[in-house]
Parts: sequence; C-alpha cells; structure tokens
Amino acid sequence: MTDYEAVIGLETHIQLNTVTKVFCSCKADSWFDPPHTNICPVCCGLPGVLPVLNKAVVEKGVLLARAMNAEIRPLSFFDRKNYFYPDLPKGYQISQFDQSLARGGYLDLPIPAAASPDKQAYTRHVTIWKLHIEEDAGKTKVSNQRRLIDFNRCGVPLVEMVTGPDLRTADEAAQYLIRLRQLLRWLGISEADMEKAHLRCDANVSIRVRGETKLNPKTEIKNVNSIDAVREAIAREIERQIREVEAGRHIEAWTLEWDEDSGTLKKMRSKETEADYRYFREPDLLPIRLDEGWQRQILADFPELPLERRARFVEQYNLPEYDADILTSERKLSDYYENTVKSYGGDPKKVSNWLMNDVLRMINDQGLNPQEMQLTPDALAEILKLVDAGTININTGKALLQKVQESGKKPGAIVAEEGLGLVSDDSTIREVCQAVLAESPNEVAAYRAGKVTLIGWFVGGVMKKMRGKADASLARQILEDLLNEKNG
Amino acid sequence: MEICDLNALELARLVRSRQTSAVEVVKSCLERVAQVDGRPGSLEQMPLSDEDKKRVHAFITLTGENALQQAEKVDQMLAAGEDPGVLAGVPFTVKDIFCVQDTLTTAASKILANFTAPYTATPVQRMQDAGAILLGKVNLDEFTYGSSNESSAYQPSPRNPWNTDRVPGGSSGGSAASVAAGEAPLSLGTDTAGSIRQPAAFCGVVGVKPTYGRVSRYGLIAFASSLDCPGPVARDVKDAAAMLGVIAGSDERDATAARLAVPDYLEGIEEGVKGLRIGLSPDYFRITYPDPVSGELLSQPLPEEVARAVTEAAEKLSAMGADIVEGVPMPNTRFGIPAYFVISRVEAASNLHRYDGVKYGLRSEAPTADLKEMYKITRNQGFGPQPKLRILMGMYVSAAQYSEQYYRRALQVRTLIRQDFEAIFDPAGAYRLDALLTPTTPTTAFKMASLYGDSVLMQYADQLTVPANHAGVPGISLPAGLDNEGLPIGIQLLGADYAEKTLFRAARAYEMTTQEEDWRKQKPEVLRGRS
Amino acid sequence: MSEQITKEVFDHLVGLAALQLEMEQAEYLRKQLNNQLKAIAELEAIPLEKDVPISLHGVPYEASLSAPPREDEWKPYPDPAGILAQAPQVVDGYIVVPDIPHTELK
Ligand SMILES: [Zn+2]
Repeated sequence: MTDYEAVIGLETHIQLNTVTKVFCSCKADSWFDPPHTNICPVCCGLPGVLPVLNKAVVEKGVLLARAMNAEIRPLSFFDRKNYFYPDLPKGYQISQFDQSLARGGYLDLPIPAAASPDKQAYTRHVTIWKLHIEEDAGKTKVSNQRRLIDFNRCGVPLVEMVTGPDLRTADEAAQYLIRLRQLLRWLGISEADMEKAHLRCDANVSIRVRGETKLNPKTEIKNVNSIDAVREAIAREIERQIREVEAGRHIEAWTLEWDEDSGTLKKMRSKETEADYRYFREPDLLPIRLDEGWQRQILADFPELPLERRARFVEQYNLPEYDADILTSERKLSDYYENTVKSYGGDPKKVSNWLMNDVLRMINDQGLNPQEMQLTPDALAEILKLVDAGTININTGKALLQKVQESGKKPGAIVAEEGLGLVSDDSTIREVCQAVLAESPNEVAAYRAGKVTLIGWFVGGVMKKMRGKADASLARQILEDLLNEKNG
Repeated sequence: MEICDLNALELARLVRSRQTSAVEVVKSCLERVAQVDGRPGSLEQMPLSDEDKKRVHAFITLTGENALQQAEKVDQMLAAGEDPGVLAGVPFTVKDIFCVQDTLTTAASKILANFTAPYTATPVQRMQDAGAILLGKVNLDEFTYGSSNESSAYQPSPRNPWNTDRVPGGSSGGSAASVAAGEAPLSLGTDTAGSIRQPAAFCGVVGVKPTYGRVSRYGLIAFASSLDCPGPVARDVKDAAAMLGVIAGSDERDATAARLAVPDYLEGIEEGVKGLRIGLSPDYFRITYPDPVSGELLSQPLPEEVARAVTEAAEKLSAMGADIVEGVPMPNTRFGIPAYFVISRVEAASNLHRYDGVKYGLRSEAPTADLKEMYKITRNQGFGPQPKLRILMGMYVSAAQYSEQYYRRALQVRTLIRQDFEAIFDPAGAYRLDALLTPTTPTTAFKMASLYGDSVLMQYADQLTVPANHAGVPGISLPAGLDNEGLPIGIQLLGADYAEKTLFRAARAYEMTTQEEDWRKQKPEVLRGRS
Repeated sequence: MSEQITKEVFDHLVGLAALQLEMEQAEYLRKQLNNQLKAIAELEAIPLEKDVPISLHGVPYEASLSAPPREDEWKPYPDPAGILAQAPQVVDGYIVVPDIPHTELK
C-alpha cells in the first residue's frame, strides 16, 4: 500500500478576555446573559454609529503575536469584510486583511512520545500565516424553520490565527491546540475554553504520497468544539481521504461538519456563490499605531513562556520531563513551584513531589488559585523544612497543608499550638511505653517468647496513644529496652 | 422683518438679554413654517397640487411641540440666572440623516420609514447643549444620494424658496431651503461631494463643509464614510462660524474626529483680508463632463454670470487688501467626479448592507420562508433607484477582479487631488495661498425634473465642490449675487486643513463689503410681498 | 464603447446586492451604470506613477491628531430593550428571521 502523509493547517479563532467588546463599551462576555441584554447601538449596527477601538484588544493581540514569534507591524489597518448574514448586524465584519497586526511567526511544537507514531518524541515547526484582530458575530439558532438571532456576542474581540499546512498527524493538531490553549491562559489573554467557544478551530486537511511536496485539494472541517473532537475528526477525515484516493476517486474541496453525537463528518451545504467579500479599508477607524513606546510598554512584563520554562525546569532543577510538564501546565502553578523552591532551598524534586502529589490535589479538588492560597509557597517551604528537621513527621506535615490552607496560620505556629511537634523527651515516651506494655501482658509474653515482630505493634500502640507525635524510632528503642530488661 | 428673519447670533443676544423669549422665537419660526412650507414630505403618493408647487416643503418631521417645551426650558433657565449656552433659544433644523433620540430618523428612505433613533448624533447634541432648539428634521435626497433633493422617498421634495420651479439643490436641500425661507436661522447638513455648499449656493445662503474630522460623524447615517462632513447652513458668515464653533471638536465616539482644539471662529472674524493671499484657478472656470450619448468628454467654460461673480468677488477682496494670485494650477480637479463615482459607491454599498429587514426599519410584509428572499424583497421595496444604483456600482467596482483597476486607482487619484491643494497652500511653496476662490456650482439652481433621472449629469453638478471632499480640506459657499433670472449665485472659498477660521474671515470681509449691494435686498420668492 | 455591464453581469450584481428588481427598473439602472462607467473610464487614462500612494482620507492623520484607543472600561448601555423594540419580529428576546432553506446536495 502507498504510504500517505496528511497535510493539516488549523484556523483558530481566539476570544480575548478583555472586559469590553472590541469597538464598543458593552462587556465582552455574556455567556450567562439572556439574549439582547448586552448590546448597544454600536454593536447592533444601528444607523449612524461608529466603532471605537478597545486598547486592551491591541495589547493582548501584541502579546500573542510576540509569543508566536511574529513581527508586529508598527502601523496596521482595519478592513471591512462584506457579506449578508442575519447575525452580522452591519452586513460587514470589521477585520484586518492585508496589513494586519502581525506578520509571520511560528511555534516549535514538542510532540511527546505518546503522541508520536514511532513513540519517539520530536518537535514540529509550525508556521503562522495569519494573525489579525476582528469582531465576532452574534449567535443564531434554528427553531421551527425560523432563525433566532441574539446580538449579545456581536463585537466580542477575536484574534484569528491561521497556521501554515505544517501539521502531519491528527495528534500533532491536538498538540498544537493543547499548547495554544496553555499559551493563551499563560499570557492571560483568553480563557481558551473550547466548550464556551473561546477557542474555535477549523481544520484544513489533505493527503499526499509521502515524499511529495505538492498540496492536494483539501477539505475544511468546521464546528469542532473540543480538542479530542478535533483529533478524532481529523483522523477520520485522513482515513476517508486515503480510502477515496485508493479507490481511484478525487478529493473535492468540501466543507465538512463534525457531528459530535454520532462522531461522524457530514458534508455542509455548499455556499451559494463563492464569497467575494469585497474587502476594503474601514474608513471609520484610523490605523493602529504601535509605536516603539507603546510596544515596549505592552511587552515590558512579557513572561517566560511555558515551553521555555519547562526546558529550564528540567535543566535547572533536574526535574524529569514529566514533572516539568505538569508544573508548567499553568503559569500560576509554575510560579508557585518556583517560589517554593526558592524559599525552601532544599531538593527541588522533593518540592515537586509534594506539589504534584498533595498540593495539586488540594488545588484541583477545591478549585483553588495557586496565587491566592493561604498555603503560600513560603508556608509550604516551612512545612518541608519542619519535616527535614525532624520536628514533625511526614504525615503531620501533610496534614498541616490543609490546616494552613484553612487557617492561614504559619505552619510553625500550628505545630506549637496543637502540640504537633514530635515528642523526643525520653521520660514522657517511657511512661507511655510502660503503660502500653502493662495493658498487653499476652503480647509481652509472646514477644518474650520470641515473636519479636510484635515490636511494630507495640510502637503502633504508643503512637496511637500519643496521637502520632512521638518520635517513632525513640519509642522503638525504649520499648525494646523495656522488653529486654524484664527478660534479663 | 419678523423675528424669524433675524440671524442666529442676534436671536441669541435678544433671548439671553431677555429682550425677547425663546418661546417667542420658536413661535415666530413655526408661524413661518405654517406660511411657507406646505405639506411635509411623506411616503404617500399624492399628485402635486398647484398649491404644493408654491411651497418649500423643507420638512419631513416638524417637532414643534417639543421645540416649544425646549424653548420654555431655556426661558426658565434664563429667569433663574443660568446660562443656557451661546445659541440660547436659537431654532435649528436638522437634515434627516442625523439620529435624534426618540425622533423619527428616515434618511428620506422608505427602508427607515419607521425607525426611531434611540440616541442623538453628537453635533445635534452639541447644538442642544448650547441652548439651540431643534425645530424638526428636514428633507434630503434619499440617503443623501443626489444633488437636487428630488430623489427623496418623502414627497413633495423641497423646492427652491427663490423660485419654486427650481430645485433647492442637494442633498442638504431641506436644510438650505429652510434657512433661506426663514423657517430657522441655522441648519445642520452634511457634505460628501458638495451637499452643503451646492444647495447653499442654490438657495442664497452660507454653507460650510468643515475639514474632514473637524466635526464628529457619530449619529450621521453614513454615505461615504471617508468623505462625509457634517456642517452648518446659515444666513450669514458669523452665524455659520458660531455654529461650527459649537459642533466642532473631538468625540470619544468617533475615532476619526481630529484631536485638535477648536478655535474661537468669531474672534477676529472682521479683521479683513489685508495680506491674505487668495488664488484663482482656471481649472475651476470650466467644466468637463461626458456626453450623455457618446460618453465623449466635453469641456466648456462656466456660464458667464457665474464666472463674473467670482472675478468680481476677487476684485472686491483685492480692493480690501487681499493679494489675488491668478493662474493657480489645480490640474486634477476634473478627476474628482470619476474618482468619486468609485470611492463613494464602494463605501455606500457597504454602508447600506445593514438595511436588511432584520433588526430595524422596513421588513417586507410579503410572506416568505426564505431569508435571502426576505432580504431581496425588503431591499427592493425599501430602497429607491438612487441607493440601488450606488449599491450596484459599489458592488461592481469593488469586486475582487475590479478593485485594483477602479478602487485602488481612485484612491491614488484622490492623492493627486490632495497634492493639488497641498501645493497651493504650502507656506513654503510657489503659491502660499490662504484660500482659493472658486464658483460653488457650474450653474445656478436648475429646473425641477430637468436633470433627475440622468445619474451622470446630476453627479457632475458637484464637480467644483467634490475636490475638497477628496482632499479633506474645508470650504465655504456664500451668496454673491443673483443671475438674470433672479437666482442666487454662490462663490466658494477653499482653505488648508483646519483653516476654517481664515475662510470665515475672508468670507465675512466679502459679506461686509457687499452688504449694501442691491441684490442683498432681494428676498426669496416665497417671502416676497411680506413686510 | 461597448457595454461593460451586460445583462448577465448585472443580474449577478443584483444577486450580490441582495436586491431583486422589476424589469423596467432593472433596464434603467443598468443603462445608468453603463453611463457611469463611461465617466469612470476617465480614471484609466490618468497617467499615474506607480508609486503614487493611496489616500484613505483626504486629511492625513498624524499621531498627534489621532484619538488614542479607548480604555477597556465597561459602560453598560441603559436601554437595550429600546434597541430590540425596533426589530420587526421578536420572540423570547430573540430577533426572528426566516430560515435559510436547505438545498440538498447531489
Ligand atoms: Zn455594544
């Protein structure tokens, strides 16, 4: 059988998480609002209104452009994209056509072994063809042969970002979206929730015989609203195209719609005429002037990006890739980790273990924001130090996590207050040991008769009586002394 | 002379000094409307009566009661010692292309017949904030598309107060007619290719097209967004200057409104023209237009009366100390109309996309289960022939395969036209002009129905005004006599960016020096026989 | 000069414009368009240097004259219901329009 490879390009629409819409002062997010309650004359395209650009949209767009290694244009323009649709109140969308915010760009996408055909991790260089600002349209739903329109979403700021045909497998496409989502949240420019359509993806898919460089006719897959569905839909489409070609048929440039419920691709109605959007410069807006001063201001706090930080964690803290990946999954978490490491001063891997096993569970179970936790990096570091110093044991340390989180008190203070410190006073432990032995004559006899493994059971008894605060090794020592003493 | 015949600044002075009341002023204007305006424009098709043919028909919507209430408020404020603003109690009309809250806003089109604006356009708001009183919305060419006002869906369309068989010009025909007939001393119009200056010239009043971006477009229903300028129509230069001072300035709702302080246009307005360099260009003394049959370009000099009005004006300005510079080349003037045919249509077609029967205005009653069908029927019923023409031409010249050939080229030609102006106003250039003096229109007011229907010749009526729109520079048209049929002749002064103040000064000088001329004592036909 | 906007081209434009015209008006409009194109044809004869820039507005907008972009502050519009009240047909807060009929594909 011929060896085929897929050629995939992704068109993403990213809803920016600004407070307000791109050209009016309505709030951007109206997910929970009843229809037509978050509107104004501007976003409804009333006669005579004019758009006024939201500064934050440009700023967030610039952050993304920079993160994608794109060149930011000092002067960029808005254009009108003209077409009739009932959810587009002006009859044109304000977008950017030939002189958009940014130009070029790429992402070096790490493909983990698990997503690689030959189980070897590798990197895919994905180029960015288009990155521009535009406004969203409203929402349409069909009921009883009528269309119901809601303008709440009109004017929500979007960045459209289009990759070159650089992806080669459905898994690569999924990885791209995973990394993009991570990046958007990292930069704080989008909630990037695909289910809420903050991040939308259309995929262009074609196949060719491996080794060829030409591009064959492609199909476009629309209406996919999760990363898994994108992977699934692309995989299906690649299979279908191979089947078609193998059967000697041609691939036609169809638009396909992913049906989530049945997990199948359906052909969409063809457009009545191939659209001619008659783009022209939007005369109601002046060009965006990103002079050096403004650019510098926007990029002043530009963060280390997740993939960079991931590499650094491996390098600097000797973390396994697995740990580094999880700890850089989210910016606040990775800041938390790093602050703890600094405050602690000990083995970074130990911090990673505590964070990934226990703290992360707390965060996930209780929906906490790492930045706002009462269990601060300093507090976590203090607990680690208390354990290291033998002041408390590991179990007490882990129990302290929740106590600190709930009370906001310092770990040391809680240890003192609740007497959680390990009792290493010989006489106190000796008394308890004596009591335990006195209460268990049968076991003492058995021990003395040679069943020395019972020592663990006696230690357990002491610990139980002392609610875990006894220095276990000391207790064992005393118990052994007492048991052997009587014997001798 | 009645109260309503006084100019705006005089009215404001009388009202503010409480020598008369705002209510009295409004009543006087409403009385004048009742006497001369006839029935307002309406969508109902009724044949014109002989009576109709003698009336002005400036209005679509008269807001008399509201005006009286506003006037009372102004009077109350004054009684309480408060200042209602520089235009206290001054009535004004608004071209029905501006949105005014809770008022019908029609754009003279059936497609917006039932549209009530939920907000007020910035320049209208600024007039009201200055104490001026809105008298009503006046007629225009449908969506401003025309130069005669005849294309309004609201008939009867306005008629020229100087001769009601003539057009008032357009598209701000209702504005110019209402001011000329004494219905209001001021009107807010718009100028995209000459739509303030041309009707002002035809009706013998003053019309100002400010620099593009000098006045906010927020609330102005767009025609060609890169050319549209709101501006004043007034009976004299000082009123126009005062009104521009009120409506000009930056606006947080219009990104293209220039961030530039508004000067006091009245300050120094009577300082005269001594030392001003005023140019005359031969390129403004002939018109070029295509033969209606062959399409061949014809060129002919302006009618002598029109040309003479300009040269005489130049002589008078010269006599007052201006340096008249002759032979100023404006070689790209004749390309104004062809470039305008392209640019304005592309923008207009896009601006008219929103009228689709979905969210406001007309939706066809014809039952249909097909969205596209609904669009088509609605737009066919709602738009008259002029919007349809502009939409279709816009579609044609902006379609991908033609946009380079037409649209891009037209924008380059706009640059050439702009360069003509830059060269003559350049303070370090060969001409160093303060203003260019030209005729406003190739002819005086033409007869009703004489051009309507020929979209090409109608457009060429704007040949001498449209270059300023392409270039963005300001212009003012002012009355400069009557032709042998007793129709007003307009002359135009064009200036550099934001140089309105200079234009007002020159215009006022001309006005003062001609104050006692006979033609100034003539009244429009509809006012003759009145004391 | 030959007719540039033929009946076929014209019909296509009418479709793009979401219009439908009575025959008589269609003929009148088509004739006017062709006349206008003759006037526009003059543009093609203008000798243009290749590097003549385009002007989007006549007046140049230097940075100092340009309004800065708006701050990202929410200002709720007081009367959204007033906007919706203009719509010809509304159900449960939604604007209603006819559907786009499905055309079955071969
Ligand atoms: Zn809004």
